[in-house]
Amino acid sequence: MQIRSESDKAGFRNVWVVAEVLSGKVQPVTHELLGAARPLADARGSEVWAVVLGSGVADGAPALAAYGADAVVVVDDARLAGFTDEVEARVLCRLIDEHRPEIVLCGATTRGRALIPRVAVMARAGLTADCTELGIDPENGDLLQTRPAFGGNILATIRCSSHRPQMSTVRPRVMKAPAPDPSRRARILRADVTPSDASLLKRVVEVFHDANAAFNLADAPIIVSGGRGMKGPDGFELLKRLAARVGGAVGASRAAVDAGWIPYTHQVGQTGQTVQTQVYVACAISGQIQHLVGMQSSDLIVAIDKNPDTPMMKMADIAVVGDVFEVVPALIDEIPKL
Amino acid sequence: MKIVVCIKQVPATSDAKIDPETKRIVREGVKAVLNPFDTYAVEEAVQLRARFGGEVIALTMGPERAAIALKECISVGADRGVLHADRAIAGSDTWATSYVLSQAILAIGGVDLVLCGKQAIDGDTAQVGPGIAAHLGWLQATYVMKVDDATATGLRVRRMHEDGYDVCDVDFPAVLTVVKDINVPRIPTLRGRLAAEKAEIPVWKPADIGCAPELIGLDGSPTRVVRTQPPPPRSGTTTVLDGSARDSARALVAELRRRSIL
Amino acid sequence: MRHHIENRIYHVEILPPKQDTEKLMDDLAAFTEKFNRVMASGYCACITDNAMGLLAFQGHECIEELGLEAKPDQVMIHLNTFHTKANLDEILATCKRLGIANLLVISGDGSDRLPKLSPADVGATDTAAVTSVELLRYIRREHGSFFHLGVAFNPYEPADHEDEKMERKLAAGAEFVITQPIIERNARVDALLRKHPDLPVIVEAWMSKKLHLLSDAVGYTIPEDTAFDPIATLKSLHLIYPKCGVYLSLLGFKTQYDLIKDTWVVEGGAQ
Repeated sequence: MQIRSESDKAGFRNVWVVAEVLSGKVQPVTHELLGAARPLADARGSEVWAVVLGSGVADGAPALAAYGADAVVVVDDARLAGFTDEVEARVLCRLIDEHRPEIVLCGATTRGRALIPRVAVMARAGLTADCTELGIDPENGDLLQTRPAFGGNILATIRCSSHRPQMSTVRPRVMKAPAPDPSRRARILRADVTPSDASLLKRVVEVFHDANAAFNLADAPIIVSGGRGMKGPDGFELLKRLAARVGGAVGASRAAVDAGWIPYTHQVGQTGQTVQTQVYVACAISGQIQHLVGMQSSDLIVAIDKNPDTPMMKMADIAVVGDVFEVVPALIDEIPKL
Repeated sequence: MKIVVCIKQVPATSDAKIDPETKRIVREGVKAVLNPFDTYAVEEAVQLRARFGGEVIALTMGPERAAIALKECISVGADRGVLHADRAIAGSDTWATSYVLSQAILAIGGVDLVLCGKQAIDGDTAQVGPGIAAHLGWLQATYVMKVDDATATGLRVRRMHEDGYDVCDVDFPAVLTVVKDINVPRIPTLRGRLAAEKAEIPVWKPADIGCAPELIGLDGSPTRVVRTQPPPPRSGTTTVLDGSARDSARALVAELRRRSIL
Repeated sequence: MRHHIENRIYHVEILPPKQDTEKLMDDLAAFTEKFNRVMASGYCACITDNAMGLLAFQGHECIEELGLEAKPDQVMIHLNTFHTKANLDEILATCKRLGIANLLVISGDGSDRLPKLSPADVGATDTAAVTSVELLRYIRREHGSFFHLGVAFNPYEPADHEDEKMERKLAAGAEFVITQPIIERNARVDALLRKHPDLPVIVEAWMSKKLHLLSDAVGYTIPEDTAFDPIATLKSLHLIYPKCGVYLSLLGFKTQYDLIKDTWVVEGGAQ
């Protein structure tokens, strides 16, 4: 809602995290957001609350205390089975109206990005997507939200001084999850879905879990990418194993795609996809400019190549000099030992 | 079937430059194009019209030159375009933008379905589609990767998620945002483009369609950009690991772990 | 293509209007003027296919929609792998109807907007991605010997890879070759000519003074302060490669066109 006075503003308290629960399992992004919420709540002298919406989600709620939730609002209702964002949005709006949180955080996942804009419109609140940094303005207590725009070429800092709550989404793996403290306890508050909430309902007919079916290169946190030096389709099988091990996707240079070793949908670069991933692992990619422009905004660039003098090895943050066919298997070998 | 496709004209490249003096984005000299994700929405609308008949209307809010993006939609099959342009809407954030678009959709009248691209490549917020649905109070389906079935009263669609997809039935009126997987957009033919060249694009103003002045433009926007800055530069230093494959792998894993990536 | 070289017929690149142009009518008029001029000069107009992945209208539709008079032997259409199957077949059918037989078959540059032919589209079973090789095979299989098919040669790619690919292109039905731009004698082009003495090779001459674009095209950096005179370079290429044709990229129709009519001089040749 729009704030017209300081007392209006003071009526809003606490930092909320909208939890994401899939198949009864709280997703890591929720823990990360609880970690991000803590310093905000401390700076405002308020509490961290988690809100859990879904069907069969009540059992997982108390465990959120370990990650910093002081209170957990649980809405466990069969009508929230599947992902009925319209109903969830109405429930959330009612809860916001009742409890008046100052800040609402949500994961920038496909579900979060469907639900939260709907809530922000209904609550007449400001919403900033994909924040990479959140802080409190010491002068007036407003939330300062920093997000990349224009393909990561600029960082914009955004505030919503005249509306509450202040809402943000944050991509998975951007914030750091705190180490869980099993001794912490949270108050559990129960809320219901009202018949009016549930009146706008689409029917979720079926749910398919298939990590590969929907995988989008641009959304992958880690991309393991190969070039001509992968020598053939078998080389890409090796990269697929590494990608699977780290929860990433496989990319390719144009040379590898043109050689027919991997489909075009994997191509990174000027004539393929532009990616901006957390870690880009370039395996035997020399680094033609066409390729570099498609991946150079990645947070961390790792290059693996026999030749230490390629453009890719020169621009990488970490350059591993060695044969990809030795280094990649060694990496696959080392990772499960963690 | 009456379909509105909400589109946006965006800078052709996502490579923005910042003016070191003003700290603002340099837009001069950057070509403006139809947001690439919106082309999938237009294509899906044209394909649905081919099956069910009806009308496809491209709608945008932006400067006068955004009419070109609407003509691009006409060149690939949209029947007409509506441009919402007025100084009063300058500075609108996603809240105010989705409000103006929802009012325009109501003004068009009798709309069964609104299609949007999943997000615009300049803002990357993905908020306007669900925002329109919220303003209208309509059903929504986001990240739609496939229309499995369509009738005159609703659609069965697949929504893409990180962990797979789900199938849901959405009754009209509804708002969909679509992803690349949904179709292969046609490229305008010269013939289509020449037809679009002749099309007249009406320009609407918020007052004409009953938008509340306090809900549009900067006044209507809860968010404010305080400052923009270039991202911190790459460190520029390269850590070289040139030991045995095993040693390098261990060092790399340790580094990824240190950065909380693994 | 041999007769083009013997008759000193330049291959003049013409870029069709871009899809995102804000002045389509002007661009179409300029295209028409260039095209007609090349026809009148007796040269061969080479029309690009979404060059650098930038969406443009197709050569065949420009000719057809604008009602241009295309002399079949004086037109070459570039054709890349970024099309839908339906679009590919339509292009080939239209070229056939217009009598345009010269095609330059390239892998080409994609973009987010451009669809890519899938192996199934062109009946390829042994690859994950369609390249010029699969496209050549498809055109040969579907249209027999109607088309004269050319391919690109990139002397800046690693030799073993590019040479092996060239052999596959020739085996798939390529009859002539157009190189990436060269500005001096190139050892890799020499090697190609030695290996295939009967293969018509057309070297690309860079007619723009914009060296950074040339750097992008060849994939390595040519210093901006390099003294570069396109017309002089063109003349020297004729002397270095008297048995080759020349493809003129980014030719300036206002400033350069009248200068090229006497540049094709071969030492000891009749002129």
